[in-house]
Amino acid sequence: MAALLQDISLIGDENPWLRNLRARGRQAFAAAGIPSAKTEAWKYTKPRELNNDDFIMAQPANLGSAAYSLPFDAYKICFDNGYFNPAASDLPQGVEVVPLIEALLFCPETRRLAGSLADIAKHPFAALNQAYLNEGIYIRIEKNVQLKKPLFILSHTTPAGQNLFFNLHNLIVMEENASAVIGEYHYWTGELKARYFANLVNEIFLAAGARLQHFKVQDEAFKAHHIALNSVMQQASSRYEAFCLQRGAGLGRNETLVKLSATGAEAEVNAAYVMNGWATLDTTTDIEHLAPSTVSEQMVKGVIGGDARGVFQGKIHIAPNAVKTSGNQLHKALLLTDTAEIDVKPELEIFADDVKCSHGAASGELDANQLFYMQSRGIGLAEARQILIDAYLDEVIAKISNEKIREWIKLFAQSADK
Amino acid sequence: MTTPLLEIEDLHACVGDKEIIKGFSLTVNEGEIHALMGPNGAGKSTLSNVLCGKPGYEVTSGSVTFKGRDLLALSPEERAREGIFLCMQYPVEIPGVPTATFLKHAVNAVRKHRGEPELDTMEFIKMVREEGRKLGIDAEMIKRPLNVGFSGGEKKRLETLQMSVLKPAFTILDEADSGLDIDALKVVADGINALRDGRRAMLVITHYQRLLNYVVPDFVHVYANGKIVCSGDKSLALELEEKGYADFVKEK
Repeated sequence: MAALLQDISLIGDENPWLRNLRARGRQAFAAAGIPSAKTEAWKYTKPRELNNDDFIMAQPANLGSAAYSLPFDAYKICFDNGYFNPAASDLPQGVEVVPLIEALLFCPETRRLAGSLADIAKHPFAALNQAYLNEGIYIRIEKNVQLKKPLFILSHTTPAGQNLFFNLHNLIVMEENASAVIGEYHYWTGELKARYFANLVNEIFLAAGARLQHFKVQDEAFKAHHIALNSVMQQASSRYEAFCLQRGAGLGRNETLVKLSATGAEAEVNAAYVMNGWATLDTTTDIEHLAPSTVSEQMVKGVIGGDARGVFQGKIHIAPNAVKTSGNQLHKALLLTDTAEIDVKPELEIFADDVKCSHGAASGELDANQLFYMQSRGIGLAEARQILIDAYLDEVIAKISNEKIREWIKLFAQSADK
Repeated sequence: MTTPLLEIEDLHACVGDKEIIKGFSLTVNEGEIHALMGPNGAGKSTLSNVLCGKPGYEVTSGSVTFKGRDLLALSPEERAREGIFLCMQYPVEIPGVPTATFLKHAVNAVRKHRGEPELDTMEFIKMVREEGRKLGIDAEMIKRPLNVGFSGGEKKRLETLQMSVLKPAFTILDEADSGLDIDALKVVADGINALRDGRRAMLVITHYQRLLNYVVPDFVHVYANGKIVCSGDKSLALELEEKGYADFVKEK
């Protein structure tokens, strides 16, 4: 833990407000420590290796402007080893997109936002992230504005020799009736076996009538740790649509907390994970229905092979006043080997009457009759398996409403190691 | 004397501990249509599954030679590429996989094996439409997920279309007529007859004589207790229909 909590000075430490915010994060993480199997929320996903002492804080890297090229037109916010790379970025005009530290120092209204949704008492890695609050992006889409192109956050890591550690913290503010598509792509180049730790927090605010589509691909190096917390606050009739594909990292966790805090707010939180080898991929959700007529839909599908492990923890909470709400959750996993494993923990907490709620979980293997049918027509076994796996994942990928991004994510799913 | 297309010699096969095929022998030459008729439980489906290499069946002795090669040494997909096609009694439903995607993979796997160039999507669609037109099958069905929500007749039409597209050297029809109305039966029969070119051979496995009114066999065999108990020409099928299986099964 010593390695993760280093005593370094950060930009803005001279500002008492920011210094205190970081100090609170530091204290909370020091008190909680790295979660062990005793921590209920981390029962199945054990970030033991973070106890190693050999992590070093990533330093600004000058990687030139060789940015990843997306196969569709998009604005880009590029980070290299966790540091903003303005030269590689392509920011929209007329929309407030500002490096987080600048926003915190020069836009006082952001101060009440940072740390307001990511509860550091409950989430040790959010506490750790807050201790280093510095890099990340502040995005504000003004009232009634519709962002023309998707805005992609590209986080590129180039580990080399050392075990890098970095934090990103994004604040996304959607004002009344604003709409946007925001993507995240986490990838790496360099040493195959490099370890690093990307610790990420998104705090997302949706005002009344705002609409956000949030798509993510986690494709980290196979010994990396990727721990992300997405905390979303929704006002009346806002809509949040999320999809996250995890196909990389040795330990990957994408945790999404949604507070449907006013009437008519809707959230659709879908995910897929595909893994071979020995990794653990964790999808954790906590959807809180806090107002009447709120809606949540979740579908998560996983394909797990080798010695890999999939974890799904999904909670739906319905508050006493949240009548006429509907919350549905479905998790399905395909196990390709005898040594693959999934751990599933669905939870429903319903304190209101007149609600519609469901949850379901299923796991299985590839169907031997389907495989044989394809083989009996000349299709090779490996190809037949691939066809079935692709079809399995297509069910959830088809829910991505943006066609170009859907096709892009589909390619990642199809080419994943399995 | 030409080599037979398929030669099965004293085949014994088990499912689990139970022997189902008990000394089955049959020789099929190019262009021949053989009908294999037998009562329920004779092991008809086991025979077709063993010939196609379905997992779960163990061949304990005997041999199967196809085009001079040891068929039993080949994987199911290799057998299919060599030209064995099983028209299934219960075609499998595969949700999420468009029929066209599946069939294009199959066609190209077989073409690749034959050293023919693979078809692109346009060429493939054109070819399937053409084959469908010849058989009176609407190729629109290939846009739907494989066999999902297909009626019994539609499933058999699709099997027939696949057979016609893959052009196998040896086709096994496993109870191809079960559950079909007369129109669907004719489509299946037309598909089979369209493939008869004097070289392609078939094994028509059936419980009833009905299909044989449309697909006239060269040979009829009575299959009971895991082996052939009696062989003859097409008149044997009519005799069976009249007398039932009991007499033939007892004979041996």
